[in-house]
Amino acid sequence: MITFEKVNKKYGDYQALTDINAEVKRGEVVVVCGPSGSGKSTLIRTVNRLEEINSGAIHFDGRNIQAPMGRRELNRLRSHIGFVFQSFNLFPHLSTLENITLSPIKINGVKREAAREKAMALLERVGLAHKADAYPGQLSGGQQQRVAIARALAMEPPAMLFDEPTSALDPEMVGEVLAVMKSLAAEGMTMMCVTHEMGFARDVADRVWFMDAGRILEMADPETFFRAPEHPRAQRFLSDLRH
Amino acid sequence: MLGDIVTIVRDNWLLLLVGQFPAGPLGGLVATLILSVLSIVLAFPVGMLIALARLSKSPFLLWPSTVLVYVARGVPLLMLIFWVYFAVPLLLGNRIPGFLAMLITLVIYEGCFLSEIIRGGIVALGRGQMEAARSLGHSYMGAMAWVILPQALYNMIPSILSQFVSTIKETTLGYVINVPELTFAANQINNQLLTQPFQVFFILAIIYFIVCWSLTRVAVLIERRISNKRSGRGGTVSEATVRALTAEP
Repeated sequence: MITFEKVNKKYGDYQALTDINAEVKRGEVVVVCGPSGSGKSTLIRTVNRLEEINSGAIHFDGRNIQAPMGRRELNRLRSHIGFVFQSFNLFPHLSTLENITLSPIKINGVKREAAREKAMALLERVGLAHKADAYPGQLSGGQQQRVAIARALAMEPPAMLFDEPTSALDPEMVGEVLAVMKSLAAEGMTMMCVTHEMGFARDVADRVWFMDAGRILEMADPETFFRAPEHPRAQRFLSDLRH
Repeated sequence: MLGDIVTIVRDNWLLLLVGQFPAGPLGGLVATLILSVLSIVLAFPVGMLIALARLSKSPFLLWPSTVLVYVARGVPLLMLIFWVYFAVPLLLGNRIPGFLAMLITLVIYEGCFLSEIIRGGIVALGRGQMEAARSLGHSYMGAMAWVILPQALYNMIPSILSQFVSTIKETTLGYVINVPELTFAANQINNQLLTQPFQVFFILAIIYFIVCWSLTRVAVLIERRISNKRSGRGGTVSEATVRALTAEP
């Protein structure tokens, strides 16, 4: 579904990503973890070209996203990749419902009524139907992030990317967001998640990628990764987490 | 002295209000207000285009717009008025009325200032909103139209009103190219009376003050409403930013 082939990315002289070779299979949940500054967010942002890469290739759903394409094609491609940000980035001037319906209406030409119905169903699913007319400023962080997930789902993406979706949340709100993500995973959504929630990784992930200094050092199923990580850096990371 | 002022106002209020209209061209306060409103309304789309050009990555848009803004900011308004007034006849072959010359000048000048306000409002929103819109598949212009500008422009209403107040004050310079506006009317009165310049220009100052002060009050009220609304709705621009933007008179 998402493949990285020899992906390299530099910021000036700084090598942010080095020779990334990896694959997220259809229906798989991959958790990307690692210390901060290890390139996790950069990696996930390359998939919808919020970050451009310097060399290598990234395929999404069988398409080379690096292939030369017009702006429209790129916009269309992005609309097929659900993306959830650490800072939610809801549109504060629009109600919850309008946040969700804006893109289907403006980009896909969905009729207003149909878009509203769909949005209500999505809000129902993330447990926020009663907040349809509220504005983002009136919602808690956890609620905002659930709306952001619903907003991404409204474009019916075949895969969802999560860039530290719970890092900006108060601890008591992490659970509600993870619950939504778990239910998505249970429905077979292909997911790539950058997260520090190791509990989520253990329960939900099919694969864990461990990154440090712009490289993927270890790829394993969560069972193996948490019980017996091979790479010394991963061992250190995990023991630091336990403290 | 107060008696003189009352007499002058009583004898000349119509001239101060509408100039020599209907016998002559429309002037006075009405002309001042028409000129101000027209220039800010026309300057707004100009400012929007300049702001977008200044945010563009294309050097063909970025450079000319940047030069224009720096020239407008670096040259006294009076110079711009002379340029337009004297240069346009050279280009077109015939003179243009003072009112039109003043309008063109103000649209360019205010357009440049508004563009900086608009650009500031867009930049203040931060990258997250644009990234979120683009990741949903919106085009750059789509994201601007549906996500960025509605927020930025709303936040900018007080600054734009302040700019409107400046514009009203700047229309006085139209006097030098014989635009029949309020200052011009006051000067006509002064030329008739000859002996009471202080009283005449005192009246003029009071009129400008009342108009500009009322508008400033409106700006403050709107600003307060916006920040109240935002604290309920959680905006993306802090109150401090709004205050900084509206600090200018």
